[in-house]
Amino acid sequence: MARDKIYLEEEFPSPIVQFWLEFRKLSIVNVAFVSFLVLVFIAIFSPILAPYSPTDSHIDSLLMPPSWNNEGSVSFLLGTDQLGRDILSRLLHGTSLTFGLSFVVVVISLVVGVVIGSFSALTKGVKSSVLNHLLDVVLSIPSLLLAIIIVAILGPGIENTIWAIVMVLIPQFVHVTRNAIKEEYKKDYVLASKLDGANNFRILTYSIFPNILEKIVTQATFAQSAAIIDIAALGFLGLGAPIPMPEWGAMLSDGIDLFYIAPWTIYFPGMAIFIAVLITNLVGEGIRHSIKEVKEN
Amino acid sequence: MLIFTLRRLNLFIFTIFLLTVLSFSLAFLFPGDALVNISGQVSANQEVLAELAQSYGKDQSIFNQYVIYVGKVFSGDFGVSMISDLPLLDVISTLLPATVELSLVALLIAMVLGIPIGFIAAIRHRKNSDNIILSIAMIGYSVPVFWVGLMAIQLFSIELSMFPSAGQISPVYEIERQYGILLIDILLSDSNYKWQAFSDATSHLILPAAVIALAPATIFIRLARTAMLEVLETPYIRAAKAKGLSFAQVVYSHAIRNALIMIVRHIGLQFANLITIAMITEVIFSWPGIGRWLIESIYQRDYTAIQIGLLVLSSFIFIVHILSDFLYAALNPLARGKKYGS
Repeated sequence: MARDKIYLEEEFPSPIVQFWLEFRKLSIVNVAFVSFLVLVFIAIFSPILAPYSPTDSHIDSLLMPPSWNNEGSVSFLLGTDQLGRDILSRLLHGTSLTFGLSFVVVVISLVVGVVIGSFSALTKGVKSSVLNHLLDVVLSIPSLLLAIIIVAILGPGIENTIWAIVMVLIPQFVHVTRNAIKEEYKKDYVLASKLDGANNFRILTYSIFPNILEKIVTQATFAQSAAIIDIAALGFLGLGAPIPMPEWGAMLSDGIDLFYIAPWTIYFPGMAIFIAVLITNLVGEGIRHSIKEVKEN
Repeated sequence: MLIFTLRRLNLFIFTIFLLTVLSFSLAFLFPGDALVNISGQVSANQEVLAELAQSYGKDQSIFNQYVIYVGKVFSGDFGVSMISDLPLLDVISTLLPATVELSLVALLIAMVLGIPIGFIAAIRHRKNSDNIILSIAMIGYSVPVFWVGLMAIQLFSIELSMFPSAGQISPVYEIERQYGILLIDILLSDSNYKWQAFSDATSHLILPAAVIALAPATIFIRLARTAMLEVLETPYIRAAKAKGLSFAQVVYSHAIRNALIMIVRHIGLQFANLITIAMITEVIFSWPGIGRWLIESIYQRDYTAIQIGLLVLSSFIFIVHILSDFLYAALNPLARGKKYGS
């Protein structure tokens, strides 16, 4: 029998593989991760998956209860709202609004925040102290309140909501990146590459970024769960997506008046927000936990 | 402690400066005339406008205008509401106490429930009860507050009819305003129906306060758990165990106190979070507080109200933040100056 390896070689998985192996160990996190991918899939392919258009109204079946109810019908699995719109279709389309937009928001603010954070980590003196104070102030205001302030300035609407939340999330990324880089900068291996003559940019991209990636990713998952809640909350308060849009928060506020006769118009959108946030939080927890385990071993 | 106080004072002044600059510049950022936005006089005629321009120093430099504006804000001249034409100082001083009352009760509920549960989780680390507590905390942390509020109304107000679903007190009780905080006003009043009014106000308060407290309570569980785990790892706990104290003695006389200090540090930040949740909950429960009023002002584009409301609310959050920092420093000598020897 041919052997590929003659010598018994000890293999050390790279940090990212170690992280992945550790991440796969937790079953609940795996479930959450798969569900996260499913949500991303739904967000992209919602027009194909949804049985009806989110704005189509079926006049002959207004306020139809969910299909497991005696009065329900299988053609409207989760029932319909007061205009006869299919709730399941609206929820599926809403995934690309509430969940998909929160993903976009996080990506934009991550890029901007990491760039600003890297620059600020390398500056010293008065400039850095002013920035620090400014960050302290901004971070002490809760994200939703800040988003409400910015929406109040820009005016209600889904686009303004997105910009508001991007602006709210940027300081958090700046803060995390800046602290991580400062911490990493003191370490010996950075000094070594500095002695080799690497400039700041090279040190950042080759030495520091691979080592702080996990911190940024963890922050990104927290930012995303905050973004989902914030988009939905602004939609609920009527400051975000306008009512006909199938955004989950706006759907909730649309159903309030009928809550007592048709509670399912409230149950399902709330459930959707809850599940999306829970999944994101679980994935974030999983990442944080695996980083800790990898570091400890 | 002096250096600590000076540093905090420095931060405080800087923050108030930033907040007033923000509030001042909002008048220019909002659509419409800056003078009208800042004073709230929508239907003023030319003469009144000229007078206003004079009093806000419109002919002077922008810096002088800012100084005049800050002077007016600190002397209590907030302008009038663009919608109701009422002086904003009066409006805010009736609304703010209701929010303070609601959020403080919610904070109390969150801490009283969250911290002991977190300690239990830490003591039973990596056992079943720890896992269950952590899962519940994760669920509570992920539930959107507006949904919980609606569910709570559906369950407790409509199906079980245990608590009223809206307002602060039933309108049949007439309570004289003294401090604005309703529960205290009731206790101080000499009405014949004092205790009925008190129990009515309490039953109005419980449901919204519990809804607000849900998310912060889960955060307190996690904070308390982490703090306790950290404390149980420290050398002085090992020393206490080596002395022969039982586990319960170690926890009661050493661990809890030290873990509590670490939690106090986070109260300020959690309070800010709690106020945001309170704003949404006020809308759902029609609570006559500043959060609901602010959100309504945004609908109605009452720019004067928005800028002053934001200034007052964020200053309030920041003052609580600084106070909790002081509390932490007073309790923990290490926070005051650990520069020596470290």
